[in-house]
Amino acid sequence: MPTVTIDGKACPAQVGETILEVARRNGIWIPTLCHHAALEPYAACRLCVVEIDRGGWWQVVTSCNYPVRGDLTVRVQSERAIRDRQGVIQLMLARSPDSPELRELAARMGVFGTPYPKVTESQRNCILCGLCVRVCEERIGASAISLVGRGVERAVAAPFRLASEDCIGCGACAAICPVGTIVVRFHPTEVEISPFKTRVKLRRCARCGEPLASELAARAMAQRGGPTVVELLQDEVHCSRCKRKELAQELTATLPTPRYHEPAASGTDGQQRSVRRD
Amino acid sequence: MMAEIETPNVARIVDRYGGDPDMLIPMMQDIQAQCGYLPQAELKELSRTLQVPLARIYSVATFYASFRLAPKGEHTIQLCMGTVCFLKGAGQISDTLQKEFSLVAGGTSPDGKFTFSPVNCVGACALAPVMVVDGQYYGNLSVDKAVDMLRLVAAGEAPLGDQVEGEAKGCSRN
Amino acid sequence: MSTTTVRLESTRDLEALREELRKQRDPNAKQVRICLGTGCTAKGAIRVFERFQEAARQSDDATSVIGAKCTGCHGFCERGPIVVVDPGNLFYSNVKEEDVPEIWRESVIGGRLLERLLYQDEANGRVAKTPEEIPFYRAQQRVVLAMNGVIDPRSIDDYLVHGGYAALAKALDTMTPDQVIDEVTRSGLRGRGGGGFPTGKKWRSARDAHGEPRYVIANGDEGDPGAFMDRSLMEGCPHAVIEGMIIGAYAIGSTQGYIYVRNEYPLAVEHLTIAINQARELGLLGQNILGSGLDFDIRINRGGGAFVCGESTALMASLEGRPGEPRAKYIHTVESGLHGKPSLLNNVETWANIPAIILRGADWFASMGTAKSKGTKVFSLVGKVRHTGLVEVPMGMTLRQIIYDIGGGIRDGKRFKAVQTGGPSGGCIPAEYLDEPVDFDRLTELGSMMGSGGMIVMDEETCMPSVARYFIQFLKEESCGKCTPCREGIAQMLDILNRITRGKGRPDDLQSLRTLAELLEDTALCALGKTAAYPVLSTIRYFQEEYDAHIHERHCPAKVCAGMFRYVINEETCRGCGLCAKKCPIHGITGERKRPHVIDQVRCTHCGTCFEVCPFAGVMKV
Repeated sequence: MPTVTIDGKACPAQVGETILEVARRNGIWIPTLCHHAALEPYAACRLCVVEIDRGGWWQVVTSCNYPVRGDLTVRVQSERAIRDRQGVIQLMLARSPDSPELRELAARMGVFGTPYPKVTESQRNCILCGLCVRVCEERIGASAISLVGRGVERAVAAPFRLASEDCIGCGACAAICPVGTIVVRFHPTEVEISPFKTRVKLRRCARCGEPLASELAARAMAQRGGPTVVELLQDEVHCSRCKRKELAQELTATLPTPRYHEPAASGTDGQQRSVRRD
Repeated sequence: MMAEIETPNVARIVDRYGGDPDMLIPMMQDIQAQCGYLPQAELKELSRTLQVPLARIYSVATFYASFRLAPKGEHTIQLCMGTVCFLKGAGQISDTLQKEFSLVAGGTSPDGKFTFSPVNCVGACALAPVMVVDGQYYGNLSVDKAVDMLRLVAAGEAPLGDQVEGEAKGCSRN
Repeated sequence: MSTTTVRLESTRDLEALREELRKQRDPNAKQVRICLGTGCTAKGAIRVFERFQEAARQSDDATSVIGAKCTGCHGFCERGPIVVVDPGNLFYSNVKEEDVPEIWRESVIGGRLLERLLYQDEANGRVAKTPEEIPFYRAQQRVVLAMNGVIDPRSIDDYLVHGGYAALAKALDTMTPDQVIDEVTRSGLRGRGGGGFPTGKKWRSARDAHGEPRYVIANGDEGDPGAFMDRSLMEGCPHAVIEGMIIGAYAIGSTQGYIYVRNEYPLAVEHLTIAINQARELGLLGQNILGSGLDFDIRINRGGGAFVCGESTALMASLEGRPGEPRAKYIHTVESGLHGKPSLLNNVETWANIPAIILRGADWFASMGTAKSKGTKVFSLVGKVRHTGLVEVPMGMTLRQIIYDIGGGIRDGKRFKAVQTGGPSGGCIPAEYLDEPVDFDRLTELGSMMGSGGMIVMDEETCMPSVARYFIQFLKEESCGKCTPCREGIAQMLDILNRITRGKGRPDDLQSLRTLAELLEDTALCALGKTAAYPVLSTIRYFQEEYDAHIHERHCPAKVCAGMFRYVINEETCRGCGLCAKKCPIHGITGERKRPHVIDQVRCTHCGTCFEVCPFAGVMKV
């Protein structure tokens, strides 16, 4: 069994694990944004970079997807790694200066502003982490939205920037978005996923009229087996907002045997966010 | 009238590549070769036939520079709106042309004849105002000359005018 | 075209066919070879070719076979259209359609030289009859380009007559896959696409990888602005690439190959398609190749228009029908590439080197070049040189030899300033390093890189910050946008370079550029982002005074950046004709007839119109 030594701490590891997984298991914090335990690593945000010893030189790699294949020596708190991670978040802050979540994450990383001017546009602070697209494809299986365009024109959108015909209105994209770009809105008979202009028929409580979930999402849940939406929502300890959050979490549930346990944390280190106000 | 386009048989194109979803890009290239662009309906049918999410097809269509999601006109017109051209009346030329030929700035005229874009300085300021028609530069334009030029082009004839050759430079006020 | 459709069942069959074809060829046959490479066709070579075809049809000389063939690129693009008459290898350049009847009459039928169309050296006036007498060709060593301009790229018979597929036969008959890999390793061949990775080592890793099927891929996505080596190779000698790939397939146990060709190269796609079909017909592709038991076939995929697809993982994503987004290479593509299977990807030029290495041996290949960079390299020599075109030289030749001996030095009597190598990932090398050898490691040490082989020569009228800005602008448009540092960082660098070249530079700009460069090199996902800042860094390294002038004095010493130099009328040369005053769009020039005129420096918009129109060179850039 290989040993991954992180900032001097020897951590036993398994072949095939990522540096990030080993670090988290050992209580070592590395910032992430595009990472989520339920999804394949995407390594796009580049916030999680660390240094690894290549014998004679240090290589900067993303910890979320660097595979452990043998003994490894890692530096998280080195001057260069810190400088690189800070540089990345500074670039993000330049792009989305008004995002409270980004600023909170940056502060946790010791960054309180950015030397860079705003030279690119972002749609409601979208940082192109791709979590929404990936959860929709990998866990929900709807592939309703995708990353569109190239370079600075890149954006998350539904096909032809019209309402998506494949969306089931489950709100997983809104739940997983770290910066609140995607929002679920409730209308009399429809759930709307903004900004994708997509509306799906809404199921309401037959007695009090409280919105439950989209019809399609309810059906998808039923088809998967396990508790139905209705059963889930009959748990009267939770308010509707929390029930939707549970629904979203259920739809994005990890594989049956979790490989590790996440430290119970709120905030913007890549954890799910609750579905926003309606 | 829009140029006659052969409605591509998406099923036939998919067959050509054995229905292999890996060959999505060649399939889309074939559709565009027939239609001149990628129509929504064809892409939706491609999604259904190949069992590939429409969102991914749209991603591919918008990622690669050679794909067009809107039809291109028979002729491409670019009117230089750099400072010198502007000072020499490019604005009036633009307004008149748009009215006369129903041009759409940044798009294609309803009759499918012209794709028209006002562009930044093309660097031929010595011959301002300058218009590029189907890749050929023409200078020393006036409103009348520009209108006559497009009338000839619309009728399928070669435009007459002062052609511009050689290297280009720009103006500091652009 | 093939004279036979009988499938070759063994290497013996192949040699028999070759013998047969050679017998049918008369080495003294009269022949006209017209270059139809893209450079020449842009100058009217197709019409020249058609006129020769007409002449051949109308010829009533029944005793000799006269053929007008179309050939691939000769590389001497500056002097196109190029026509070579055999026997004698008479080399005519700058041929026009109207010249054809005279060439036919005098040279083809009469066997006489047509002096006025022969190449004449501007420097010493010497006239050359054949390519060997022309400095441009004499200093070259054409291995990969040996058949460009000699064979008809659409004829497999031509390729066979000139020894084609003999290397494949040798490999299949006399070598094991391991021996093939050893030969390639010993030759010292390094990737010709830009990375310079030892090819034999890559092949060995591919062979040792686990998983089926295994793929062999040729990267023909040549995207560096100014580079056209791969295009000429694919257009001019497609079979060399195919033969190399079949040998590679044999070496690593692959059954399926792909050639990924840039969308903007339709002629290359056409010639490769014809070549693959011909090879299939003869049984050189398909099942049980030459009776060896090797099954292998090749498919051509066209790019969709994305520079980033030259990156190996992006290319493979494209082959899978997805956007060309690169992915991490912590697990190499030789282990897990296309569809997660072992994939051997090499550049087109690398593949084209393989047949020669197998046929003539690793020792022969390693006898050319330097200690760590063996063999030859094809460069596209473009920019401000007298003779632009493709040049193939042994590694280790100096920049001076390439630019001056072969390229003829700087055009228009200007001074050399820098040579840019390696495309958008490379850098600019100044005059003090002209005597440095061109090889992978030396160029990297100098702050540039070999890249795919683009060599852009710049003179004193080139503004280096503008060059940096140009490359960053290019990369901004080509960035896939997946990772933060490349997408945002390049946009930031462009913002800074735009300000510098528009007179709005700030004192801390150079430091910001350096900081961004380091950040990108460390954190970007792929080579596009990682090397994006190299042109910026190398121009700062060697031309800092120029940046300082832009930033601190708002002056462009090369007099390129609009508004950062002045137009002033030269009192001595100005004849007072008044033309500039008439043309000036803001009526900013005053003066009496026949007296020197004056430009109003306050109102001048720097459009350059006066400079363009003055017939007496009376306007100076200052």
